Amino acid sequence: MSATILVVEDEPEIRMFLRSSLGAEGYRVVESPNGRRGTLDAGMHKPDLAIVDLGLPDFDGVEVIRRIREWSPMPIVVLSARIQERSKIDALDAGADDYVTKPFGVGELLARVRAALRHATRPSSGKVLALGDATVDFEKRQAKRGEREIHLTPIEFRLLACLAKHLGMVVTHRQLLTEVWGPTHSEDTHYLRVYMKQLREKLEADPVQPKHLLTETGVGYRLVADD
Amino acid sequence: MGYAWAAGATVVATLVAFGLDAYFHVVNVALVYLLAVVLVALRWARGPVIAVAVLNVAAFNFFFIPPRGTFHVDDPQYLLTFAMMLGVGLVVSGLTERVRARARAQAALEIEAETERIRSALLASISHDLRTPLAVITGAASTLAERGERLPPEERASLAQSIFQQARDMSELVTKVLQMTRLETGAIRLERDWGSLPEIAGAVLRRLKPRLADHLVMVDLPDELPLVRMDASLVEQVLGNLLENAARHTPPRTLIRLKAQNQGTDLVVSVEDFGPGLPGGDLERIFDKFRHGERGGAGLGLAICRAIVQLHGGRIWAERLPGVGSAFRFALPLEAQPPLPAEALAR
Repeated sequence: MSATILVVEDEPEIRMFLRSSLGAEGYRVVESPNGRRGTLDAGMHKPDLAIVDLGLPDFDGVEVIRRIREWSPMPIVVLSARIQERSKIDALDAGADDYVTKPFGVGELLARVRAALRHATRPSSGKVLALGDATVDFEKRQAKRGEREIHLTPIEFRLLACLAKHLGMVVTHRQLLTEVWGPTHSEDTHYLRVYMKQLREKLEADPVQPKHLLTETGVGYRLVADD
Repeated sequence: MGYAWAAGATVVATLVAFGLDAYFHVVNVALVYLLAVVLVALRWARGPVIAVAVLNVAAFNFFFIPPRGTFHVDDPQYLLTFAMMLGVGLVVSGLTERVRARARAQAALEIEAETERIRSALLASISHDLRTPLAVITGAASTLAERGERLPPEERASLAQSIFQQARDMSELVTKVLQMTRLETGAIRLERDWGSLPEIAGAVLRRLKPRLADHLVMVDLPDELPLVRMDASLVEQVLGNLLENAARHTPPRTLIRLKAQNQGTDLVVSVEDFGPGLPGGDLERIFDKFRHGERGGAGLGLAICRAIVQLHGGRIWAERLPGVGSAFRFALPLEAQPPLPAEALAR
């Protein structure tokens, strides 16, 4: 069964190339030209995933995300212009799962869509995570580098688990801080800087050029596992 | 505002006049009031000048013309005093206004000329940088649209690929122009937060991987670097622009070294290359906008870097490396490090 994708985007030209590229991948595409229609279509067509542009003519894309999130956990990927840094973060904090910055190559969008759909159908919690030569078993609370066991502190485990829960997708600073240290620390970004550094030193082959614990500058972090 | 000054001037003149009154003739006392009118006229327009003339004559009349402590408006002598004060005041005010207007017009003309110069440089630079990719895109796209089915698949693919690349370059240029405009008009507010330079370096090296693929990139960062209060997205742009420049202006397989050093009050980040080096001339000028033959784009990359670093209260500069190659460095001010959580706090 092929997945249905709702595209909420006001530019007809962009809808057109999304329709053809998503269609070529075998997805069924529903198109909405504005926020109002998008919110309705999300209810009517029950898509498996929504792609929402942040610069809609009638109301903010962030509002569309909030309205969808009132009733549905469907994955949402936002399209944002370079100039909308702030609203991109707002969209993610409002419940969007990932973002692509315009102009984007279609490969990048499809990768995000695939990761989000995979995550929605097969939640990754409770599994063993493979990160290069490192493996992390969340049930046994055990991490290994090759055969050698490595010690992760409780906080490092929590942080890693929070990223793993959104495997392949971006998690904002605020989301991570709130989940790991609690809402009173939602602004203490420096905690993340320090703990991500420790995690990278323990799990990455080259901590400065990580392959798994990726930085989304100004936004948050993304955990990418081996395929 | 001017009227407040007018009233103030009268009060001050009256106080001074009282001081002089004991030693000087009343005519000289009147001159103090005249001076007050001239001073007000030098700064303010007609309204406050009339006000100060009226107030001065009234005060002079009331305090210094016997019988003191009363007004008398019957004596034509004091009408003349009033007329003189008003006349002098208006003439001075008119003259200063004219001088000021000329200065304003001159300044406006200079700003306009400068804006015009920048605008035409921008247009010349951008239209040059846009024309080539647009020609490629138009040609390749029309070939695909009109003759696509007659072309072998690999040729179709390479035409599509060149459309993709050229459009991406154009879009980057447009983004840079927008960014420069926003930086210049103060539309960018720094979103400062504690950031880690190695993290930013990692992100930028990942983003630029395809473009740096032909070069040898060496990353030389100390294990322990302090955090910096910065707008990480903007600093990432700086680092990205410098690395791209280095790759663009050196032959393939050239070594590019990314370094950072804690220098106590500053964190100094360097991008060094062992390429052909920088041309002769003033090294400060290469950060100016639209400098011809600048490293990259519409001559905006380095200007953007400088604007961003300066917004952070830092410095950016270029150096010729001894022997061969060049270095671009920027320094970001360091602050006291933030307190960290005890691991136990989290339970």
